[in-house]
Amino acid sequence: MAIDWQRYRCEKFYDELFEAPGKARQAACRLAEYLDDLTDAELADRRVAADLAIKTQGITFTVYSEGKNVDRAWPFDLIPRVIPRAEWERTERGLKQRVTALNHFIQDIYGAQKIVKDRVFPAELLAESVNFRKQCVGVTPPHGVWAHICGSDLVRDGDGTLYVLEDNLRVPSGVSYMMENRAVTKRVFPELFETTTILPVDDYPAQLLEMLIEMSPRKVESPTIVLLTPGIYNSAYFEHSYLAQQMGIELVEGSDLTVGDDDCVYMRTIYGPQRVDVIYRRIDDLFLDPEVFNPDSVLGCKGLLRAWIKGKVALANAPGAGVADDKVVYSFVPQMIKYYLGEDAILPNVPSFLCMDDKQRRHVLTHLDQLVVKPANESGGYGMLIGPRASEKEREKFKELIKANPRNYMAQPTLALSTGPTLVDGGVEPRHLDLRPFILSRKDAPYVTMGGLTRVALVKGSLVVNSSQGGGSKDTWIVDLDAEPEATQSQSQSQKAVA
Amino acid sequence: MLSRVADNLYWFGRYLQRAENTARLIMVNASLLLDLPKHATFGWGPLIEIVGAKETYAKLYPDATEANVVRFLVLDQNNPGSIFSSLHFAREILRTSRDIMPREIWEKLNDLYLFVQEKGDRVTSRARRQDFLTEVIESALLIYGMIVSNMSREVGFHFLRIGTNIEQADMTTRIIEVRSTTMIRAGSGDQLAPFLNIWWMSVLRSLTAYQMYRRHVRIRVSGPSVLRFLLQNRQFPRSVVFCLNTIASTLPNLPPNRKIERSIERTRALVQDADVEGLLATDAGLHRLIDEIQIGLGDLHDAMRAAWFKL
Repeated sequence: MAIDWQRYRCEKFYDELFEAPGKARQAACRLAEYLDDLTDAELADRRVAADLAIKTQGITFTVYSEGKNVDRAWPFDLIPRVIPRAEWERTERGLKQRVTALNHFIQDIYGAQKIVKDRVFPAELLAESVNFRKQCVGVTPPHGVWAHICGSDLVRDGDGTLYVLEDNLRVPSGVSYMMENRAVTKRVFPELFETTTILPVDDYPAQLLEMLIEMSPRKVESPTIVLLTPGIYNSAYFEHSYLAQQMGIELVEGSDLTVGDDDCVYMRTIYGPQRVDVIYRRIDDLFLDPEVFNPDSVLGCKGLLRAWIKGKVALANAPGAGVADDKVVYSFVPQMIKYYLGEDAILPNVPSFLCMDDKQRRHVLTHLDQLVVKPANESGGYGMLIGPRASEKEREKFKELIKANPRNYMAQPTLALSTGPTLVDGGVEPRHLDLRPFILSRKDAPYVTMGGLTRVALVKGSLVVNSSQGGGSKDTWIVDLDAEPEATQSQSQSQKAVA
Repeated sequence: MLSRVADNLYWFGRYLQRAENTARLIMVNASLLLDLPKHATFGWGPLIEIVGAKETYAKLYPDATEANVVRFLVLDQNNPGSIFSSLHFAREILRTSRDIMPREIWEKLNDLYLFVQEKGDRVTSRARRQDFLTEVIESALLIYGMIVSNMSREVGFHFLRIGTNIEQADMTTRIIEVRSTTMIRAGSGDQLAPFLNIWWMSVLRSLTAYQMYRRHVRIRVSGPSVLRFLLQNRQFPRSVVFCLNTIASTLPNLPPNRKIERSIERTRALVQDADVEGLLATDAGLHRLIDEIQIGLGDLHDAMRAAWFKL
């Protein structure tokens, strides 16, 4: 079934590629035209080629189900999502602003708590935050940075506004898929890269490595940097090994590390113990150090937090950084930006109702059928209520949950999430999507990935984009229209072609 | 290099070599059986002995029919030494070592693993078995070629190479042991005598040694000269001495350890000094030597584990 854009029904939501059926947005014109020209057989070939590339490159993610870990091929949709460079640059500025404010906030919270004393941020929120680590009070990590790697989820509403849905400051994942998606697209659609200026995404591992090197407590020529993984059964293990490989650093497990009497961290090598300077850890705070946190954890390393507090080793992200990625704390980010930077937020938050506030809670409880309710500290889309789609029984259950623990819940209006054309059996249909860019808080200035990971809900009508729950992904193109002098001409051609 | 990773690479070398050797063993046995008189064949049982899996096999299968033995050696997940299991373990190791191993090796090994998983049933058909096993052998050799051509000669490479060679030395001694004792048991005056020649030729072929043997040894194929070649030849890459020499030659690149050096020297002396003709004169002589070599290889493995791999 060749693609016929006239029959692409995209009017119901904001579509990332099409203004109207048959009318591609400027940045997507060439792509639309190219896809339109593919015959059934060619399209089928490209799909097979993409599947094969994913299979042979072993791009997988691990799902835990029925007591077993299953390795699944990464679900990938061929049709990229396209963003014009000018729009992206504004988004990039907004993300940098946001992460800068978040780092100020975390440093403040574990220090003087000025924002609380100035009554901009409620003290009771802090008191009940499950991600607040009292062990971190009084610590200042190198350069005052806590959230070195941040993955923020962006969504677009019906009117085209891009909102920040949440910030992931603990161990955000997905960046490897962003790079692999690009590798697959290059393999499958090489022609498109010749005619369109698509900005590259490959810079990320180098930026990440440089940031990790900057963090080293020992000022030596080549500090020892490692990536700490929970191991092969973690759902993001593919990404851990991918990033270690790209950066040329050791991929270690907790059992490879020890903390010596000198409070330094060592890894066990064939030459004996070797000092470790920086750890990019991909395990949660509570499993990091059985001496301080979960005593049963076998994933971490005894004494790690002690070594970090004494400044003998740097951790990315810093323990305790998660205090700012609580979904209730999230709703205060615009105030943080104002408070710490004296600026207005460039990227808006999704309007949020906090259940801890009596008035707002009453609104939530009476409007559950219109709202999405989220617990403060879950990730991966778990524990959510999508009001308009839930049954009466589910909504009743959530009413009770909210009343029992108001601090733990917040609600947002159901957004008319934007869509992108996605290959389905028998053609192409709109599917809802979001975008996760990654921001590195480097010493001098933050770095933002060129675009990010676009996640798409492959199930018709679904809003859930998480790969653990039937989501897929798309390559994300930041297209530089100015770099193409003949862009206007090509646009008129493509409109003819698809007309 | 992390101890855990060094251990993994060592085992990767072993698993890859094991998969290749096992495939070849089956091919050569099939071909030998076609040449032997019907009343005098040894069937498929000796292959189970060669891979040292008699007990595991007995638990799973009632008898050593061709179909059962081949399935056990190629596909059975309950046999930790089957081709499928070896590739599975090798793949798991690569997943944890992707940061060290060149990426195309992962892709190729993954292809091979999926090929065996998807097309494995072909080994049950005699007509298609040959092609299937050839594909396994060639893919394994291709992966080894990629390793040798594309991997930096850092410590990781040396651990992998040690694994490959200790596995080969082990497999070569096992093949010698089982094939020769069967031969000795058969006796020279027996009805098998006319087939002695092709018998020893097949032993050489299981180790791709026939052509190389011919270049080194001009006289007709005979028991003692085949054994000398497979144990003591310094130029043939699958001979026991060659493998031990290779392992010894990697040691200067690795953290020094006297126990390991001594272990290699001892085993190498044992093989080099063996009086092959004398051993073949008695039933137990060869058996004892092979036993001692196997113990030597085991010692070497333990010494390496203690020095480098143990956490």
